[in-house]
Amino acid sequence: MKSKYIFILFIILAIVQLCIPAQMINHRETILDEGKAFKFKTEPIDPSDPFKGKYIYLNYELESFKVDSMDWKTNQDIYVSIVNDSFGFVKASAIQKEAPENGDFVKAKVDWYNTNMKEVQFTFPFNEFYMEETKAYDAELAHREAQRDSLPDNTYALVYIKNGEAVLDNVFINDIPIADFVEK
Amino acid sequence: MNSRLLKELPDLVNNAVISQEVAANIETYYQSQQSNSPNRLFVVFGVLGSLLVGLGVILILAHNWDDFSRSTKTLFAFSPLLIGQISVAFSILKKKSKTWKEASGTFLFFTVGSSIALVSQIYNIPGDLSAYVLTWILLCAPLIYLLKSNMLAILHLVFVTFYAYEIGYGNYYSDETPWMYLVLIAIALPHYIQLLKHKTNDNITSVFNWLYPLSFTIVLGAFVKDLSELGFLMYILLFSIFYTIGKIPFFDSQKLRKNGYLIFGSLGIVILMLTMSFDGFWSVEQLLFFAQESYLSLVLFIVNVLILGFAFYKHWIKSFNLFQYVFILFALLYLGGLNLPVVGTIIVNVLILALGITTIKIGADKFHFGILNYGLFIITALVVCRFFDTNMSFVIRGLLFVGVGLSFFLTNYIMLRKQKSKAKTLKQ
Repeated sequence: MKSKYIFILFIILAIVQLCIPAQMINHRETILDEGKAFKFKTEPIDPSDPFKGKYIYLNYELESFKVDSMDWKTNQDIYVSIVNDSFGFVKASAIQKEAPENGDFVKAKVDWYNTNMKEVQFTFPFNEFYMEETKAYDAELAHREAQRDSLPDNTYALVYIKNGEAVLDNVFINDIPIADFVEK
Repeated sequence: MNSRLLKELPDLVNNAVISQEVAANIETYYQSQQSNSPNRLFVVFGVLGSLLVGLGVILILAHNWDDFSRSTKTLFAFSPLLIGQISVAFSILKKKSKTWKEASGTFLFFTVGSSIALVSQIYNIPGDLSAYVLTWILLCAPLIYLLKSNMLAILHLVFVTFYAYEIGYGNYYSDETPWMYLVLIAIALPHYIQLLKHKTNDNITSVFNWLYPLSFTIVLGAFVKDLSELGFLMYILLFSIFYTIGKIPFFDSQKLRKNGYLIFGSLGIVILMLTMSFDGFWSVEQLLFFAQESYLSLVLFIVNVLILGFAFYKHWIKSFNLFQYVFILFALLYLGGLNLPVVGTIIVNVLILALGITTIKIGADKFHFGILNYGLFIITALVVCRFFDTNMSFVIRGLLFVGVGLSFFLTNYIMLRKQKSKAKTLKQ
């Protein structure tokens, strides 16, 4: 093959290589711009990823919902309808297998169906919050400290949601962004 | 290799083994060859350098620089990728040397990975590691052909294996099968075939002769899901395919260390059979016939038969080699013997003994001490295994050990004698 053609093919490949991350960015930016913000009560713990670095894993308080039917499979996609409670935090109002036509909802994955409690346990696809490597462990400690004080509901994640898709924007302890809270 | 030869030249001339003229010819021949081929060492260091820099970039970005805004971080995500792309474009456009292409390609490979990782990090996109690696592999696969790069093919193979491993074994709860692995391997195969055709004896080709069987060996287990009893059969069938491929004259005529198929196949069959020679193994309760594993076993069996049949058709198989037929016996044994522990155990033990003797015979025929002792080693391993689980009396076990030990001495001694007498007749 002539090097001219190879070069043209390479340029096409290079554009694709650029487009994939660009598209990922664009998708999230739209949600951040046009989506609605919700507060999810949470509990962070600190693992790490070989390629992306340190993150805190977020255990959400909202992780199950009582249902009547038993027909739920592990790893199945579900849609959780959400509303705000009187304190301004998210609670679930229903879960269903198809996206609801009205109201706010967010996508989640079924972990398992608890037959004793008649509950579906699920995980949200925004449970990793990336932090500077020195801060991730401190963040976990800071959260534990903050839990001990008398104020209730002090750690939450701010999540932007549009058409069921979510972007985790920040995590707050006592209304201060967790990265700043750790520095103090 | 040739530098050692060049150093020997004056000595050979002094001792009148070759003439001055021949020595000069040899020297000019090697010098002309050297100027034609690019400096191999330079390629290796170029690739190694960009490999380290690429990995370093990933690590630096993984620090997660909190102080920068989202847009600055995004810029960071793209700049290494752009630098990688520009250097590859430059080496294509300016028709740079192999070193340039291999090094810039390797660097680009890692910057593609780092850019996706950083975007996921900036937007807190949770990591499905296998999906991430799959995107990465697919975005870089065309580079293997655009740059005709061996290093990228190696990276492709390594990451593809990692991907299948992650899907198959990584998540305990998932029951996914990495079918995509087969497609990804198929993408890299034309490159390997080109190497086999045009660079048969190069070291780089033998690297792939090892990497492919290694990758298949690691990944096959990921295809075993519910019916793990059939896993052993599948692996025996796979190793049997390796062995038969390794026995094709194309590979068999090469040096043994370049023939990864043969070594993988032979060692795999022996080790697996030794595991199965314990009588606890053969008491499996049920065997389902309509499962993913049964179909895969059938496919592997058919591939075995096809390769063996083709080898017969081409008259590649000149003498009987038990290793090449073990898979048939095994398939039958698996179908019939699973509920009869005694039968299974006895047959496997006899088979291992027969394989050991076959190997000793091959070693003796080829005058190869390595193969001869490998055969003895198989029998020793069998005896050691039996040492642990049979109710044989200590005297018999002791006699067995003495017997095998003596056979080590005797066979090696006989072969040494034969070799010496051969050397003598050559001298006369």
